[in-house]
Amino acid sequence: MRKSRWLTMVALVGVLTLVAAACSKDNGGGGGSTGSSGASGSAIDCDTVQFGCVVYGPGEPIRVGTLLAISGDVATLGVDSVHGVELAIDHLDGKFDATPGQLLGHDVTLQQEDDLCSKEGGQSGATKLAADPTIAFVIGTSCSSAALGVADTILSDKGTILISPSNTAAGLTAPSQHQPFYLRTAQNDAIQAKVVSDFVFTKLGFTKAATIHDESPYAAGLTGGFKTFFEGLGGTVTDEEAITSTDTDFKPLLTSIAQTHPQLIYLPDFNPACALIAIQAQDIPDLKGVALMGSDGCGASTFFDQAGSAGDGFYLSGPIASPGSTTSALSDEYNAAYKDQFGSPTADFNANAFDAFNVVTDAIKTVAIQGSDGSLSIPRVALKDAVFQTVDFAGLSGTLTCISTGDCQAPGAVNIGVYQAPDAPVNPATPDAKPIFNEQLTLAEALGQ
Amino acid sequence: MAGAAREAIPRRAVGRLSGLPTRRIIQWVLGIAVVVGAALGASKTLALNTFSASAWRDLVVFGVAQGAIYALIALGYSMVYGVLRMINFAHGEVFMAGAFSSYFVARTLDHSGFLDDNPIVALLILLLVAMAGSVGVAVLLERVAYRRLRGATRLVPLITAIGASLFLQNTARGFFGAQTRGYPTPEILGGSWTIFGVPILRAQVIVIVVALVSVVGLSLFVARTRTGKSMRAVAEDKEIASLMGIDVDRVIVTTFVIGGMLAGVAAILFAIVFQVVGPFMGFIPGIKAFTAAVLGGIGSIAGAALGGLLLGLLESVGPSLFLTGFHIPGPNQLRDVIAFAILVLVLIFRPGGILGAGDAEKV
Amino acid sequence: MDGTPLTRHAVRAGLMGGVGIVYLALVGMIQAFSGTSLIGDVATLARLLILFPPFIAGYVVVRPRVQGGETVTVAPIRALTVGAVTGLIAGGLTAAGVALVEILPEETVRNIFVAVTTQLIDIVTFDRSTVQGIAILIILAAASGALGGFLGVIRLRIRRPIAVGIIVVLLLGMLQDVFRVALIQLGVPTAWLYSARFGGLTYLGGVVVFAVAAAATLVWADRRRLARAQDEEEPAPDSRGVGQRPTQMLIAVGIFVVLALLPVLLGTFLSSVLGRVGLFLLMGLGLNIVVGYAGLLDLGYVAFFAVGAYTTGVLTAAPDSGSSIHVGLGFFEAAPIVIVIAVVTGVIIGGPVLRLRGDYLAIVTLGFGEIARVLVTSDWLKPFLGGAQGLIGIPAPSILGFSFRDPQPFYYLALAFCAVAAFISWRLATSRVGRAWTAMREDEQVAEAMGVSTVKYKLLAFACGAGIGSLSGALFAVQIGSLAPSSFSILISIQALAIIILGGMGSIPGVIVGGLVLIGLPGFLSEFQEFQLLIYGAVLVTIMLLRPQGLVPNVRRMRELREDEEAQDQWAKDLDADTARAFSAEPLGGPPG
Repeated sequence: MRKSRWLTMVALVGVLTLVAAACSKDNGGGGGSTGSSGASGSAIDCDTVQFGCVVYGPGEPIRVGTLLAISGDVATLGVDSVHGVELAIDHLDGKFDATPGQLLGHDVTLQQEDDLCSKEGGQSGATKLAADPTIAFVIGTSCSSAALGVADTILSDKGTILISPSNTAAGLTAPSQHQPFYLRTAQNDAIQAKVVSDFVFTKLGFTKAATIHDESPYAAGLTGGFKTFFEGLGGTVTDEEAITSTDTDFKPLLTSIAQTHPQLIYLPDFNPACALIAIQAQDIPDLKGVALMGSDGCGASTFFDQAGSAGDGFYLSGPIASPGSTTSALSDEYNAAYKDQFGSPTADFNANAFDAFNVVTDAIKTVAIQGSDGSLSIPRVALKDAVFQTVDFAGLSGTLTCISTGDCQAPGAVNIGVYQAPDAPVNPATPDAKPIFNEQLTLAEALGQ
Repeated sequence: MAGAAREAIPRRAVGRLSGLPTRRIIQWVLGIAVVVGAALGASKTLALNTFSASAWRDLVVFGVAQGAIYALIALGYSMVYGVLRMINFAHGEVFMAGAFSSYFVARTLDHSGFLDDNPIVALLILLLVAMAGSVGVAVLLERVAYRRLRGATRLVPLITAIGASLFLQNTARGFFGAQTRGYPTPEILGGSWTIFGVPILRAQVIVIVVALVSVVGLSLFVARTRTGKSMRAVAEDKEIASLMGIDVDRVIVTTFVIGGMLAGVAAILFAIVFQVVGPFMGFIPGIKAFTAAVLGGIGSIAGAALGGLLLGLLESVGPSLFLTGFHIPGPNQLRDVIAFAILVLVLIFRPGGILGAGDAEKV
Repeated sequence: MDGTPLTRHAVRAGLMGGVGIVYLALVGMIQAFSGTSLIGDVATLARLLILFPPFIAGYVVVRPRVQGGETVTVAPIRALTVGAVTGLIAGGLTAAGVALVEILPEETVRNIFVAVTTQLIDIVTFDRSTVQGIAILIILAAASGALGGFLGVIRLRIRRPIAVGIIVVLLLGMLQDVFRVALIQLGVPTAWLYSARFGGLTYLGGVVVFAVAAAATLVWADRRRLARAQDEEEPAPDSRGVGQRPTQMLIAVGIFVVLALLPVLLGTFLSSVLGRVGLFLLMGLGLNIVVGYAGLLDLGYVAFFAVGAYTTGVLTAAPDSGSSIHVGLGFFEAAPIVIVIAVVTGVIIGGPVLRLRGDYLAIVTLGFGEIARVLVTSDWLKPFLGGAQGLIGIPAPSILGFSFRDPQPFYYLALAFCAVAAFISWRLATSRVGRAWTAMREDEQVAEAMGVSTVKYKLLAFACGAGIGSLSGALFAVQIGSLAPSSFSILISIQALAIIILGGMGSIPGVIVGGLVLIGLPGFLSEFQEFQLLIYGAVLVTIMLLRPQGLVPNVRRMRELREDEEAQDQWAKDLDADTARAFSAEPLGGPPG
């Protein structure tokens, strides 16, 4: 008696579920068309084109999403990028005066989400932004782990552009993995890995190096790339190790690496691991004279905070604006404005964020349909196409040309510089430091094509 | 009703009923496999001869120093478990509280230069502050969270402790910010001393010496003083101790206080060696210290000390010794696997831990 | 005679209330929630948070207490004044804090407590000048305390509707995004309920919701009282597991129907939150078997989750996924294989350790969870499992071309699996296996003596838990189509455990409630995300202290826990010599009930 009652209940629920699933497919389209074209005689009909348009009524602000690492140990990276975006909004009126400008007569507001430098954060933030039909495009993510296979897929599935100021992992723009609506103004790490290996082999003259990555896609990508290029030049990677970013005791690891007699240890990780390794390496007698090198993950103000004088001599690689680029006047103004409004930069990518914003807003200016009543429609696919057609854009971080796989720094040469602590721009004490080595490469050159 | 039935059936019969010979065989096979694997790895590594003798020596010293810190934290776990039969999961946060409270004082001392001018006095002050902070949180935990749960089933206090741990970590994050900060240490602690011809870092020497003193002091305290004896009585049987006139509540609070003090000492030592503090710094050392306590035999002081030492050594020497021979890439990543494998092995054959009671099953 | 102790009690409670307000301020919650308006433009969540501790303090002070052998109650008028005094003290302490911050140089305080900003002080002083703000703070705190005191002494019949009404208003206010979207989808006009300008409820809406909720509670409570009076005359049926009673089954089905309809009402983003809820529900159901039914302390459930996720990934992913293994099965083809592998893993790792005592089992399972995480991240297994970069290119599950990747269909898939798992759990619980587990849980040695092979049944529980957990992992793998090893941390094990603890161990409806509260609410209330773990910890501690049987307890479990308590009380209250004699003469009889 009871059993049959339960069975009928289960059957009922099952049927209900199927019906609801079928119905939901019609309702829950998600993005879909959100409005009709405002002006008469426009070629694009927002109701029928794929992914539709983002529509703003007269006076409504244009909403831009940011999905950056704004909390935790990597907040120095994300918050720094947010500042770059805010300066870009400021500069919409042509000057840095701490008052936001307007785009096509509409204010611009930010919807900030946290990518938590993790897959979870990327997923939840991207889903939230993707579900909001008033978001024109998204600037993010900070960490490659939040983007790869996660945020780039979710936002591309809804036709929303995701443009990253600091994702450098090569996999994001690999032809087999690239998502159609994803771009970045950050350099492809293949370039940075090549420059680092050139620095170590040719400038320092070392032939033996060891690598330590911290299990993040960013670090693993760099150490992998370094190994390929370094061995290609004729060097040897004597030891490849890994740490967890929450580890605090590295002395056994460093001892074990020392036994393989490298001349340099490349640890493109994040703080506090970089700082801790710098401190603890001093206590390993077998590592005396062995150089340490990190990349832009280490290159944050917290490194100098935490390592203190133990960090002196640590090499740091990172992107720098191309010397002699046409925007150097602008970059002077920008740097001054940044210092004015936010103090000294805490990471290397704020200029890339500034450029990311401007690349997309320039494209918006070309494809947006302005209604006679002051409304604005931005067709998503047309916007994407316009952004991917960006050629020779004069950005702060370099001359940007976006190629079909999403790298905007690709054909343009990326300038990677190497600094030696304590003389690095991210050190609040030496904001005007100059690199001791730099190399400008295009992606094709880096890959030897 | 169950109690009477339990008395009626002799323990031996119960043991025999559940001992399947197949399980025993599997256990022995597993155990032998692990031991053989370890020995094989070790011999291959030594055959490769990539590590110099001084490197092994350094690894051992690092292991002992790290183990000393684990031992101090493990003592807190062990004592609370002995008295309350409860895993104080939040003990890692007790440790963190000591580190943070001393951090702010250390920062002030560093700015004024006092830290470098009078290092010994400064360190003593920091030690007192750290102990105060840890003891404060420990007592708070006992009073607010654990006191009401004395008689409850095992799961309830465990969950409460986990909840308290999460709460404390994130309170610290809310108060002080999530980022890790550098802990200022006096310059005199840099460099090393040569002891018996072996150069050891000064910081590590201090760690080892202080830990040793603490363990010995604690053992004497528990063995000789009246409070210590009360603690042992309560650990033995709470109800009878209470009937004998011992104020059980007070003894339990004392246990937490002593555990807190040791955690405070561990906090200072940690700060000296690693020079960082952060709101989540207690979580992983807490789990590791608890593992160490179980490994050595929870409930006993010698067990906690031994477990801590062993765990430190396993983490430091283990990956290099056992895994390099097999040419496993990135052996250091697997150091927790080694530690837990050894733990499981020990618990299979000695369920109470190395120094624990041999038949701690099913009680 | 009860004047002084009550005053002392009030002072203590007031101080605790003040500490509560200061804590909420220092930890950053007040500032974080200052933007969310709940009702109209005055009641922001931050302000309500400020007034919450004095309210609770006032309530607690006037509750009946046992003091000196007597139960002390407080008269209603007295309660108001006492509550007001309590609130006053709480407000005063906070005001002192504000004054302190104003006097000290900003650097000193800010350097230690990062949350103390001028913005925070503004919020606490209700956006007035310091003196005015402090005055308002103290007055409002006193009023809250008085309200708490009032609620504490009125009859339950009146108190419960008021309390429920307040809670419902707050919930509707906090979940404004969810409910507003749902109502819009249903075509119901919301302008009267939710203010477009502030985002929260309108005043009218707040009043109406309160009235409706309170009235409903009143009616429902009265009917239940009548029903229970009827029951007393008939013997209750022997309840051995999840509700056999008609009303409970109806509730269960009702819950399922609501769950099934939710994605239709909510948008895409909220449906993806529900997808996550579904995953954790599945995990909770599996862990419920291990912890709730068999009583095994498992802190490493994430191991099975990882096994399921990675096995699915490896078996179904496209080439170039990061793994050198390429099999290319479909999701539904791979699922049985995944379950089998997980069960085998469960038996292998469970076998040697299941006879360990509870606490030791806890640390060992914790170790297994960590080992799983280390292994999937390791460079050693990178060729097979993708290492730190994980696996990508996992295709969406599909039946006859219908893909389950979108949030709504994915949720239904998860729900279907949950239904199956719930059914299996329920059948197991009411079968001989379930009885064996209950016997094992209550007293292992007696169970052994009775011939119950504890090892076999423990392994069975472990294996079931492994299978269900791996299914959850499989779903996780296909939800986005990529796997990152950082997702498999100990936090997942803790969250799964928290769900079944909160809901009630061994109770299937409990798992559902626990999942919705602990995973759903933080997902819907995005402001809480920052404090999610903090609230988790507080919830766990509070539940264990106040209501260890959980929100929707399993009847038998509750009886066990209550028997425990009563046994202790009985032993402690051994005053009467006759009782003592009667007790010792009947060793096999426990306390009645």
